[in-house]
Amino acid sequence: MIRMRRVTKVYKGNVYALEDVTVDIERGEFAFLVGPSGSGKSTFIKLLIKEEEPTGGQIYIADTNINQLRKWKVPYLRRKIGCVFQDFKLLPHKTVYQNVAYAMEVTGKSHRIAEQQVPEVLKLVGLGHKLESFPDELSGGEQQRVAIARAFINRPPILLADEPTGNVDPSLADGVVRLLEKINDSGTTVIMATHDKQIVNTFRKRVIAMENGRIIRDQDRGVYGYE
Amino acid sequence: MNKITYFASETWASLRKNLILAVAAIAVVAVSLGILALVVMGWNMFSNMIKSAERKVGEIDVYLSDLTMEEERQAIEAYLVSIPEVDPLQVTYKDKETALQEFKERFKDQPELWEYLTENPLPNSYELSTKDPKDVGVVVGEISNNAPYRERIEDIKSASGAIEKLENIFDKFRQIGIIGVIALAIISILLVSVTIQVAIFARRREIGIMKLVGATNWFIRWPFLLEGVFEGLLGSIVAILVSWAVKVWILDKLIDNLQFLRLSLSSSLLWVLFPCMIVGGIIIGALGSAYALGRFLEV
Ligand SMILES: Nc1ncnc2c1ncn2[C@@H]1O[C@H](COP(=O)(O)OP(=O)(O)O)[C@@H](O)[C@H]1O
Ligand SMILES: [Mg+2]
Repeated sequence: MIRMRRVTKVYKGNVYALEDVTVDIERGEFAFLVGPSGSGKSTFIKLLIKEEEPTGGQIYIADTNINQLRKWKVPYLRRKIGCVFQDFKLLPHKTVYQNVAYAMEVTGKSHRIAEQQVPEVLKLVGLGHKLESFPDELSGGEQQRVAIARAFINRPPILLADEPTGNVDPSLADGVVRLLEKINDSGTTVIMATHDKQIVNTFRKRVIAMENGRIIRDQDRGVYGYE
Repeated sequence: MNKITYFASETWASLRKNLILAVAAIAVVAVSLGILALVVMGWNMFSNMIKSAERKVGEIDVYLSDLTMEEERQAIEAYLVSIPEVDPLQVTYKDKETALQEFKERFKDQPELWEYLTENPLPNSYELSTKDPKDVGVVVGEISNNAPYRERIEDIKSASGAIEKLENIFDKFRQIGIIGVIALAIISILLVSVTIQVAIFARRREIGIMKLVGATNWFIRWPFLLEGVFEGLLGSIVAILVSWAVKVWILDKLIDNLQFLRLSLSSSLLWVLFPCMIVGGIIIGALGSAYALGRFLEV
């Protein structure tokens, strides 16, 4: 599903965010991308959705080399990849329903389809009763569930989550990851960047550990493993 | 339909948010198109006035004595046609009967001018045009010095210096008007683009999220483009209303009260001018938003 070959990303000021990263992530996998802050996790994710361009190396998604992807095709790539972020990125003046329906409207789907599917997906994330609430009326955990619903509404084959539990109360963080697990069970490939040791150790998934832009460890059913 | 309502509501919401700027942009679009309308209407009135003037710039009338014999007339005609500065196809003979007919026609509202005539006081004449209006003086001099049967030529008249001066002044007026309109159009484009930039800035978070969930560039751009076009359109409508008012309350009054100037405004002009203003407003709006989108919306 996702293949990186000797990928390097150098930011302005000669900052090596990724260095010689080679990794394969198969369809249907669930992988934690772990490492201390500044180790290159967010850059890894930004490269996959072409928010940043790699300085060197090749990235393939579903056998398409996305380095060579035409600019106008990038939106269609992003429709195949759901994204969840630490800061939720919800629109404050739209309701929960509207925030999720938005992701469908943007891809040109009709209101009728949205009216059918949005409540369904919100029920799946446990917010079937909060359709008309606004984001600031929800807890962090609930907001992140809305963001996950939005990322999942178009049934993307890949879901990327960058520190999704970072702004969520620790007691609710498990629930967020369990939701991602549920989405993974439906066949979606999930990559979750995190430096939450407790979560990684609880869920025991594949762990890709990074340090200073390099992959230093890659193990199935792994643990967080930093001091 | 779905998409149209979506774009329309996004456009409206955005317009309302930066109302002051939008009003300023609409006003400047209206001013530039309004000045365009004034220049065009003024120019039309003036050229109609010039057209109705007795002699136009570049035209010369040569009046012959009633004593002129036929072969003398032919010699004079041959001479006139042969002057190099004269357009040989524009040398026409007008006999005194035709001249009187035209006179009556022209002053049909003032029959006291011709009703009591017992004989035709108007002479036979030649009307000729120079190839280049600036050669009028040369040709007049040439005729009065070198024409055959000079004694048969009673008078030579050309457009008065006043008309020539007026025409020059109006040419300047038109040039300044056009430059002014272009300058104002550029300012309006920039102002529309500022409002769109502000709108883009106000919605940058939303734009980021739209990109994230896979909105195409055009899906993101459309509401902004529409917003600019809408501002341009509104400006042009304001300009049309104002120019219509100026026409009805000022120009028409002027035409009525200054009849001796023979002012008039071609009625078909407005049917061309107003649609052009609408198109102009739309183009200004589209260019303004396109400029803002090109510079400030990295998609
Ligand atoms: N836009 C940027 N410009 C310059 N340096 C950046 C930029 N984004 C990230 N970096 C740097 O790249 C490195 C990796 O950052 P990041 O991928 O955000 O790591 P993580 O998500 O693991 O904290 C850090 O040293 C960070 O300062
Ligand atoms: Mg990060």
